Amino acid sequence: MLKYAAKRIVLGLITVWFIASATFFGMHAVPGDPLTGDKALTPKIRANLEAKYGLDKPLATQYWIYLGNIAQGDFGISYTQENRRVNDIIREHFPVSATLGILAIVFAGVGGVLWGALTALYRNRWPDVAIMFLVILGISVPSFVMAAISQWSLVNLNQTAGGTVLPIGGWGSVWHMVTPALVLGLSTMAYLTRLMRSSMLEVVNTDYVRTARAKGVPATQIFSRHQLRNAILPVITVLGPAIAGITTGGFVVEIVFAIPGLGRYFVQAIQQLDYTVIMGTTVFYGAFLVFMVILVDLIYGLIDPRVRVDQ
Amino acid sequence: MTHSTDNSAGSTVGAPITAQQQATRQPLLRVDDLHVDFQTYGGVVQAVRGVSFEVAAGQTLAIVGESGCGKSVTVQSLMGLIPMPPGRIHKGTATLRGHDILASKFVGGQDIRGREISMIFQDPMTSLNPTMTIGRQIAETLEVHRGYSQSQAFNRAVELLEMSKIPEAAKRAKQYPFEFSVGMLQRAMIAMAIACEPAILVADEPTTALDVTIQAQILDLLGDLQQETGMAIILITHDLGVVARMADDVMVMYAGEVVERGSVDDIFYCSGHPYTQGLRLAMPSNKRAEDGGAEQTLLAIDGSPPDLFNPPTGCAYHPRCPHAMNVCAQQAPAQYGLGSTSASNQGLSHQAACWLHHELCAAQKDQP
Repeated sequence: MLKYAAKRIVLGLITVWFIASATFFGMHAVPGDPLTGDKALTPKIRANLEAKYGLDKPLATQYWIYLGNIAQGDFGISYTQENRRVNDIIREHFPVSATLGILAIVFAGVGGVLWGALTALYRNRWPDVAIMFLVILGISVPSFVMAAISQWSLVNLNQTAGGTVLPIGGWGSVWHMVTPALVLGLSTMAYLTRLMRSSMLEVVNTDYVRTARAKGVPATQIFSRHQLRNAILPVITVLGPAIAGITTGGFVVEIVFAIPGLGRYFVQAIQQLDYTVIMGTTVFYGAFLVFMVILVDLIYGLIDPRVRVDQ
Repeated sequence: MTHSTDNSAGSTVGAPITAQQQATRQPLLRVDDLHVDFQTYGGVVQAVRGVSFEVAAGQTLAIVGESGCGKSVTVQSLMGLIPMPPGRIHKGTATLRGHDILASKFVGGQDIRGREISMIFQDPMTSLNPTMTIGRQIAETLEVHRGYSQSQAFNRAVELLEMSKIPEAAKRAKQYPFEFSVGMLQRAMIAMAIACEPAILVADEPTTALDVTIQAQILDLLGDLQQETGMAIILITHDLGVVARMADDVMVMYAGEVVERGSVDDIFYCSGHPYTQGLRLAMPSNKRAEDGGAEQTLLAIDGSPPDLFNPPTGCAYHPRCPHAMNVCAQQAPAQYGLGSTSASNQGLSHQAACWLHHELCAAQKDQP
């Protein structure tokens, strides 16, 4: 297990290096640079600034300097924001995004498994039909539309209640997190529900469930021990990519709900070609996702003995 | 054999067996006139059409017949294992020691499944939960029915694996099904089935998925365990070799009906139904080859199994039967009692559902 984890981490580091390199060269391939802006710079000032930021050096040299800094955990200083270190931006804003993302994942995972199991148990009866209708809705409607609809509903709700039941936007208390997390997790939850439903229906008709019934195991125990655990495996498999989906989808939801997450900086930085912030946020997100996927793989081994890699 | 017509025959003539004659001994499990069907988009499949049998303690009853004849559905409906809907038991009774088990699997507040009747299946590779250790799966039965603690049940599970002749049982109990071979898995299934010392073990084609040497070992194991525990075995198979080796009584099914039943000797040496005879002739045997007789080629039964959406009228076997008469297509034959070869007369009385045993027919038989 330890050897397996170590191997995965080394491979993960290579992946992160690849992400960093691709981002670096892709970013420099875009015409313009952080110093190209509304304010016209005299050639002299421009040359001075380029020298200060090291932009006058050959690309390969810049690349090696950059890799060296990243290896030391230093993402540099923002080009567009005075005296703002990228590390500080990440430190201040990532926890907000992470909290929102984790909440959304928990919501999507738990919801998907429960609703999926429920629809399978009530197959072709009204709870199944009703939930599957909502699932199709959840998959098809993009998150920014859901975000707007939920805000509009909250406004109406707060008006009829004559006070603030749930805040419409912003960040601060747990109550601020509920609606954006639901909106963010919704499409993933819908997807997982569908997956769980089909996987559950497959498991219900397996021979080992029949064996359990022939043993006289009570129905609730058959559900929890024999059906749920086996049906959940495909859901866990897609949980890694689902985390990626939720974190990238988070940018939009953060903007609609005015949440001070990392997503805003990510988008802004690309628009302004703020090299260090682009590199910092991309590499950081990349590393985070790689780590989550490794984590999911290790969890998978705990649940399914067939993919366990010890001994 | 005669091919003459027999239009005058009614259901009252001949010597049909009455219910009174059947009730002479006290069976452990008694099934009467069981009807099971499945509602599908294509129509109603009449899988089991009036099956009656009984099983006595310590005896082995083999249920024989080709695929789709209702063998498995019969026992699975008794165990409550057929999905309902689409399945439906629309007629019949089944009693275990006098308790009705068709309506509810609970006798005295406890599930009889796993405790009184347990079952092993055809494909051990898929019949065990892949994410649970073998030991835990065996222990589960004991926890459910005996109220054992987890560790107590696990220790017993190891003992049961030893009884099923699995080497290094303590280590094996901690392993998962994918670490076992097929034969070992079937042993584990047997260990699971005998955990609560059931009165009846139902073995649904237990050796079909196994190679021949493992088959023999599994059958020996079942035989030994039956000797030790005195349980009854209901053995479902289409392998007459297995029947000859294991069974006391045999019930031959065709198209959801019982066409012949009797002791194993009755069935093998004086079978009274053309279908049973067809099955016997379709069985490979080294004896005939040694004799150098003309019968070296295997004889297949002509035609194909009946469509259970729409079973043939009269005797279901008549479209394939070499001895079919006009009456066979029109009216279902009753069960006729036949002579028995077994001296003890312990097992099922020998009966066959065939017009050839009607007295009018039997009288002509001697005149070729």
